[in-house]
Amino acid sequence: MSLIPDTVRRELEARFRDRLAGPVHLSLYTRPGSARLILPAGLGCATCDETRQMAELIQQSAPENVTLEVVDVSRDPARAEADGVDEVPTIRIGSASDAARIAFQGLPVGTEFPALIDAVERTSRGEHGLSQESLAGLARLKEPAEVLVFATPT
Amino acid sequence: MSLANRMALASPRVRAVCVEANEFPQLSTQFRVRGVPHMVVNRSASFVGALPEGQFVSAVLERAGVIEEDGGGDTGGDAGA
Repeated sequence: MSLIPDTVRRELEARFRDRLAGPVHLSLYTRPGSARLILPAGLGCATCDETRQMAELIQQSAPENVTLEVVDVSRDPARAEADGVDEVPTIRIGSASDAARIAFQGLPVGTEFPALIDAVERTSRGEHGLSQESLAGLARLKEPAEVLVFATPT
Repeated sequence: MSLANRMALASPRVRAVCVEANEFPQLSTQFRVRGVPHMVVNRSASFVGALPEGQFVSAVLERAGVIEEDGGGDTGGDAGA
């Protein structure tokens, strides 16, 4: 069963036609086929299949600008480790010229879906939209900073 | 979460990860998440609530040790990790 209604697909295609300007690369880290298995904690992935549908929806809505790579972490754990991904499902968003520094961990539904779409669009346009004051503050960062944002669908 | 993503777009030193709190209860417990949005910087310090851009960026920079905390507000705290 499809997670995404056709109306949403059509709306997303129209939106991306207007708002995407350059290439976006999505990397989906997943553990396929484990949704219905009863596995010890950390080995199953209840939302990997739905998250793949979500990532494919985005790619298929703008195939000229969005590419999707699927990484099966059960087959390629070294890749996940090298990319700093320690949970599945995770979607990382990067551009053609820049390493992916935005990630969504878990099924991005509810309030997280608009944030995912916004991240794709801003990455495509290279548009952070921050003020000069914020940029001046960020310029003071000398070491890497990781920001985890915990959110819920509602 | 959008502001964290925008910071990651603006700075090569920032990495933003949006975590679905219900799906990863162990992480939520580890970082003492009781309300959302709940931000954790460098897995060591946190703040809570939707903030305007300037306050959000300052809160991240404070917890990253770049600028001194202003000493006020109810957003500070040990992330608990």
